Amino acid sequence: MVETKKIKWMFKKDMMVLWRHKPRLISLILFPIIMITLFGYGMGGTLTNIPVVVVSQSNGPVTDATLNAIKSTNLYDVTNVINDPTKGKQMVMNGQDKAAIILPSNYDDMQSQTPKNVIIDADSSDQMATGALIPTTQALFSQISNQIGIQELQSMGLSSSAAQSSQIQVTSQTPSQVLSNPVALSSGINFQNIVNSINFQINKLYGNISYIDFLVPGVLAMVVLFSCMFGMGESIAGERERGELARLFMTPTSIATIVGGKILSKLVQETGRAIILIVVAIALFGIVIAGSMLLTLLLLVLVALCFVGFGIMISARVSTQEDYMQMVQPITLPMMFMSGVFYPVETMPWIFQKIAYILPLTYANDALRAVMLKGAGIGAIWVDVVVLLGFTVVFFALGVKSFNRDV
Amino acid sequence: MKYCVETFDLTKNYRDFSAVDNLKMKIKNKGIFGFLGPNGAGKTTTIKMLTCLTLPTSGTATVAGHDILKNPNEVRQKIGMIPQMVSLYGDLTVKENIHLCGDFYGVPEDLRDSRADELMEMVDIKYAENKYVSQLSGGMKQKASVVASLIHQPDILFMDEPTIGLDPTTKRILWDLVEELNSEGRSIILCSHDMYEVELLCDDVGIINRGVLAAFDTPQGLKDTMIKERKNEKTSRSSNVTKIVDEIQKEASPEEKASFDKIKDYVEKKNRDSMELSVMINNLDENVLSHLKNLPITYEITKQHSGRIVIDMEDSEESVNQIIASIIENNGNITSISTKDPSLEDVFMKVTAKKEEVGEE
Repeated sequence: MVETKKIKWMFKKDMMVLWRHKPRLISLILFPIIMITLFGYGMGGTLTNIPVVVVSQSNGPVTDATLNAIKSTNLYDVTNVINDPTKGKQMVMNGQDKAAIILPSNYDDMQSQTPKNVIIDADSSDQMATGALIPTTQALFSQISNQIGIQELQSMGLSSSAAQSSQIQVTSQTPSQVLSNPVALSSGINFQNIVNSINFQINKLYGNISYIDFLVPGVLAMVVLFSCMFGMGESIAGERERGELARLFMTPTSIATIVGGKILSKLVQETGRAIILIVVAIALFGIVIAGSMLLTLLLLVLVALCFVGFGIMISARVSTQEDYMQMVQPITLPMMFMSGVFYPVETMPWIFQKIAYILPLTYANDALRAVMLKGAGIGAIWVDVVVLLGFTVVFFALGVKSFNRDV
Repeated sequence: MKYCVETFDLTKNYRDFSAVDNLKMKIKNKGIFGFLGPNGAGKTTTIKMLTCLTLPTSGTATVAGHDILKNPNEVRQKIGMIPQMVSLYGDLTVKENIHLCGDFYGVPEDLRDSRADELMEMVDIKYAENKYVSQLSGGMKQKASVVASLIHQPDILFMDEPTIGLDPTTKRILWDLVEELNSEGRSIILCSHDMYEVELLCDDVGIINRGVLAAFDTPQGLKDTMIKERKNEKTSRSSNVTKIVDEIQKEASPEEKASFDKIKDYVEKKNRDSMELSVMINNLDENVLSHLKNLPITYEITKQHSGRIVIDMEDSEESVNQIIASIIENNGNITSISTKDPSLEDVFMKVTAKKEEVGEE
């Protein structure tokens, strides 16, 4: 039998303890802020000002234009322009720069038939920087190459407008058609450069979603996971260890009542924490919740309920907080990485994908992303909701059944 | 109800270790029962089972007339428990903790408040009612725990080493409270290592050792049993000596036989009619000692430390007078004199040592 008055007392007691334990209260508020700030700035933003050194082995207008183009791209922070490729490579290996962009000695020679090999010596130990540098640099030189192509056509006697129309024409042609153009072939131009001028069009079905937008729903669920799981350690195993729970067990009180009281206070705390998290994400990173704010909150409450149940199930039989933590850590950490918080589940190895679908956090992420990013309603996420409810019921049933009253 | 607690083969095993082994015990209602035993003997486990804080492996018990397995909530409602480790919420005040307990026992609010005030006054903690429990000293925490355990006016109060580590004044307050609660008709079950406390307060005493009830009686009953046992031991020792001497006498000459008869008389007398007298002489010297040793009523002087001697002697009033006279004649100053009856501690030592021997066999 669940007794309301006792549940209220447990809720009141937990709130009083939280209010009086200022470090715990501050942590409750700060934890979501720190998490979202760290993930937002550390993982969700775009990289800028990566230090690079440019090795220029030629002089002329094309080299100058290229240097200006590199300097005006905010991805690069050009620390030096030198003319010795070995020194440039050394600067990367010393860690002064993340890459050396080496322009060849024939870079400005428009008549040369020899390919102009631009080399990038990149610090591949820094995957993040390299991952951003390589595609951007490729795109930049593709554009420059295209410009050279236009200039070459102009120098062959074609007007600027003809050159432009030629470019447009090329855009709509296939590479084989370009290669079969006799005029172009006779001019000795590197047609591959012209082929590179084809523009790709990308249609973003859900708008311009950045990584931070993708990350926020996952981080929300993850913060709820961690605070519920670790919080239940203090709430049940901690009280058991200190003998405080024994005082309640001495009274004619059912386990369901004690568990009920714990759920109520934890849910209120977690809802407060989720609101803080959403507000901070909106304020700092301008994320937009495409769907219903109420549905988002209700989902977070369900996720909290599910993980409180998980915490109760684990703490049901352990007698110390340390034992509890030892049991929780091997579950929560892999769950965090395997349930699609940071990367979509579909991109993971097949075995992790299979495991992901037996983890409640995967369904929490899926539902929250659907509501927050795609604006989905309950009709679109009902499977996730049902699965989460199922997990919750199983966790509570096992938790209450196996709860050890022994002190 | 004749018994407040009755156990029926109560057993608690932890893996292959039996903490309590088929315990059968009946504790009188409305009395103060002292539950003794060495560390790890099974006292706390028994108390936990009786207070429904842990389930027995087998067997059962009735507490306040209710079965601990069938009606645990009825048992919980009827009992109060002061555990070894104070189990109040450190971040709540004394008053909040007491109110929490009152509400968990279903005490109506107005009654709860008046009782809380009354009990806090009684144990002298009212002045600290708004202090957090974590800020209190050990003694004050224990007082708060007592109030929290009594807020629902239980019929039976279990106290698991309640005065351990407390100062004499706080101990005295708790002892007075125990007597007052008992005079109101409540049964008290007191686990303790303090023999003085048990002897002072308890009507009955049970000694548990290695999970088995090794002795159960009134404190005086236990001591009397020990006196009887000592006498029996002596008689048996004496008859053994007599048998050996008889065997030797068969081949002895008449002169030798007479000497052996004297030995037999001495041994029989010593073991039949001996008593121990403890005397404190502030100017004890060799002269006094040698005179005492040479008295015909003295069998042995067993202990000698800082002027205190324990004389094993003939058990009679006349013998005591002779001892006193001998000391005075030899200018000894007697500061105290007492017969040496076994104490509850002696009983405890003997009972637990006996079981130790059995266990080691």
